[in-house]
Amino acid sequence: MSDMDRAMNKGVKGAEDTDAEGTDAEGAALTVNAAKGDGAVGAPTDGAPTDGAPAAPADKPLGVLAAAIAAAPPPWWHWRSLRRLSRGHRRRAVAAAVAGALLGGTLVAWQVEAGPFEREQACWGALDEDDVADLFHGKRDIEYSQMDIGYDRIASDGPSGRCELRSPRGHRVRAQLHRLDTRFGGDRDVWADEYLSARMTPLGGGLLGMVSDTRAWLAVPEGCVGRTPDRDGPLVVDMEAGWTTYRDAVDPDERARLARAVVKLVNHYMADQGCDSDLPDPTDRLAAPARFLDEKPDAFCGVKGLRLPGSRESSSYERPMVSSGGGPVRTCDRDVLFGHPKLRLMTVENSRLAALYEGLSFEGGRRITAEGDTKDQVRGRGFLREDMALYQASCQTGDVTFLIRSDGGGRAADIRRLMPRYIAAEADRIGCGPLRLRLPT
Amino acid sequence: MTGESPVGSSGGAPGDIPGDSGADRTHGADAQRLARVRRFVRTRRGAVATGLAVALLAGGLGTWATDTWPFDGRDQYCWGAWEQDSGPGVLGDEGFEGDDGRSRTSTGTAPTPGSPRGECRLTVASSHTFSDGDKDRQRTTVRVRYGPPPKSAGQRVSWLGGYLADRAMPLPGGLPGAADGNHGILVLPERCDARDGRPTAVTLDAHEEAADDDRVPDVPDLGGSQDVAELLVAAANKGMKAAGCAGAEPLRVTSVLPELPERADTFSRGPVCRIPGLDVRADLTKETAMRLVYQVGAVNEDLQSCSARIARSVRLGERSDQPLFDAVMVREPRLTRLLDGVATTEAPAKGWRGTGDFAADRRFVRAECAGRPTAFLLLGTPTGATSDYFATFTNAVARRLGCAPVAPTTDAEGGRR
Repeated sequence: MSDMDRAMNKGVKGAEDTDAEGTDAEGAALTVNAAKGDGAVGAPTDGAPTDGAPAAPADKPLGVLAAAIAAAPPPWWHWRSLRRLSRGHRRRAVAAAVAGALLGGTLVAWQVEAGPFEREQACWGALDEDDVADLFHGKRDIEYSQMDIGYDRIASDGPSGRCELRSPRGHRVRAQLHRLDTRFGGDRDVWADEYLSARMTPLGGGLLGMVSDTRAWLAVPEGCVGRTPDRDGPLVVDMEAGWTTYRDAVDPDERARLARAVVKLVNHYMADQGCDSDLPDPTDRLAAPARFLDEKPDAFCGVKGLRLPGSRESSSYERPMVSSGGGPVRTCDRDVLFGHPKLRLMTVENSRLAALYEGLSFEGGRRITAEGDTKDQVRGRGFLREDMALYQASCQTGDVTFLIRSDGGGRAADIRRLMPRYIAAEADRIGCGPLRLRLPT
Repeated sequence: MTGESPVGSSGGAPGDIPGDSGADRTHGADAQRLARVRRFVRTRRGAVATGLAVALLAGGLGTWATDTWPFDGRDQYCWGAWEQDSGPGVLGDEGFEGDDGRSRTSTGTAPTPGSPRGECRLTVASSHTFSDGDKDRQRTTVRVRYGPPPKSAGQRVSWLGGYLADRAMPLPGGLPGAADGNHGILVLPERCDARDGRPTAVTLDAHEEAADDDRVPDVPDLGGSQDVAELLVAAANKGMKAAGCAGAEPLRVTSVLPELPERADTFSRGPVCRIPGLDVRADLTKETAMRLVYQVGAVNEDLQSCSARIARSVRLGERSDQPLFDAVMVREPRLTRLLDGVATTEAPAKGWRGTGDFAADRRFVRAECAGRPTAFLLLGTPTGATSDYFATFTNAVARRLGCAPVAPTTDAEGGRR
């Protein structure tokens, strides 16, 4: 049996060889004909071999099968059969072949979604047409431009990328992947004002991220990309969709849209990094958005026991908005203008996010110290300035930042008065108490 | 395939046959046989048979080449729970450290409905020869156990504490369990509880065989804690199926571990694990105090751990760190169920709230804390010369969770409240 197999194999191989020669010759003939013009193509006049390959020598038994096959009638698809077609038939055949090839190619392209059938994947390939339509209330005429995700190897800023979606009606949604910049002039100012505002609710489920109807951000889980060095900020994807107006309450539907989109962007990035598990859709577990707070006289910003002595000053603020749902930050914003609060009281509970303020906590201003600090051991560090009080405490959960900031001037007295009680109350709430601070004189 | 050409020619041969004489011109028996073959191929039945044979061959080749059934060629391990190249690093090519002598085998028995205990041991071995002739051998064993926790109360505390301490992080997606890079635990749903009410747990421990000339023992690399979580869940699903308590939906690692453990802190001058009052340095000599290392594990509402140890001194020829203590708070309901029945009905010592059990190198107390039963445990040295580590840890964590002190408060601690 194996003998025969070998024989057949060899035979077939031989046949192939001779066949190839034959077609070569014919191919040459055809090109010559083609050069003469269309009309000549049909005429089988040239010296194309019609009787196949020369017969095999009888003393080579293994070549016999080859010879036999070569001598066999040509298959129906062979050039020789084609040439027998009349001119009209041949044209039809060619047309059919071309049509078939086109149809086949189109089908394949459609099947694998390539070429004209490629489904547009906006924002680094993460959002398909339906996802984009979801962001734009079902509109499908959205254009996008992007900067691919890449690394800046010189500044060692980590991966970054940008993407912008535009509707012809002027609505814009921007997405960005970047590592939160903890350096001077970094993300702790403008970014924190907008993305840690009281309008944001945490995404929950152990994720480090927040969302409102105009802003969303989500840190890429460490289980996928590894833990960033302590001084570096987390790698986040953030999105902005227009102005934040503090007059209106947060629209839950818009918020859900952004939440879904930011999770999709992070999932796609993680898949690129080789992480199989997806983050689930967070929209069901989002807390109710924050509303303006009717604060009690002894609970400034909803912090029990926090008072602003001198009611004349207190009434000079409008109602505050306090973030809801627990989570990485607790923010109380007052009198927000163009996205920037006139007065903000904020506790950054998550230590990865508190890294934003680590560098600042070493900066100048009159130092704040805690009761019980010794030369060797301190509870944390911070400072008091005209426009800002900041304390970064070392808690069981990690570093926690307490911050009171004013954008306008003339609030130095308020900041000084609020600071010790605010930090003591908040430290107790998050389980970092007791924390009694001494004001610098 | 070229082998199909004779079939084609016999199937639909057009009329004119040039001299059918290939065989006539030959003399040997070979040629006659070939002629017979050709004639057979030319008959219709022959054509069908040949076509069928070729199709089978092609199909077989195709499935073999694409690694699909029945040639999928992927090995399965541990009751069929794990499959080669299915994701976790230890099951893929990266599980081998060396290029030579690679092998991956598993032994063990699956649980059955009658006896819901199972065990499996996966062994990954390879070796590598360096250019200077040195040989490095890898022998990683991963041991999976399915069954109830140890019966003895003391053993159970140490057993659970071992899985929750140090660098362990809670499993993602609300799965009751924890994992780090080389071991993990997962508590199965109530339907799998043993008859005496103890929950069933799946545990995983990886071990790397040390070579004699290693200065420090190797750490097994299974691919990271996410991969350990995947391995645990796969073993749990298969084990539950075998034991007959699988649910409609298999357990799934639905999400990525959101956070990883902090780096172990060696240079901090503050209290150990940032826990106020947990001052270990005062009890150590100046020399050893400089080698004190602590690891903050998970710190959240369900789990908190703090491990302190004296780092090995290579100068003194020590090959491993000397553990000081592992302190753990756990109040994830399914995990704390594992500790049911460990404590007596009495307070562990005078002045303590709740119930517990103290031994020389192990402490355990369970008390209501902010509305939930909360377990505190410590393995290792519970007290130093100047302070009670366990009491300090317990009260500091209780305070963080917002509940009354569990340990008797000393003057210093009482004053802090």
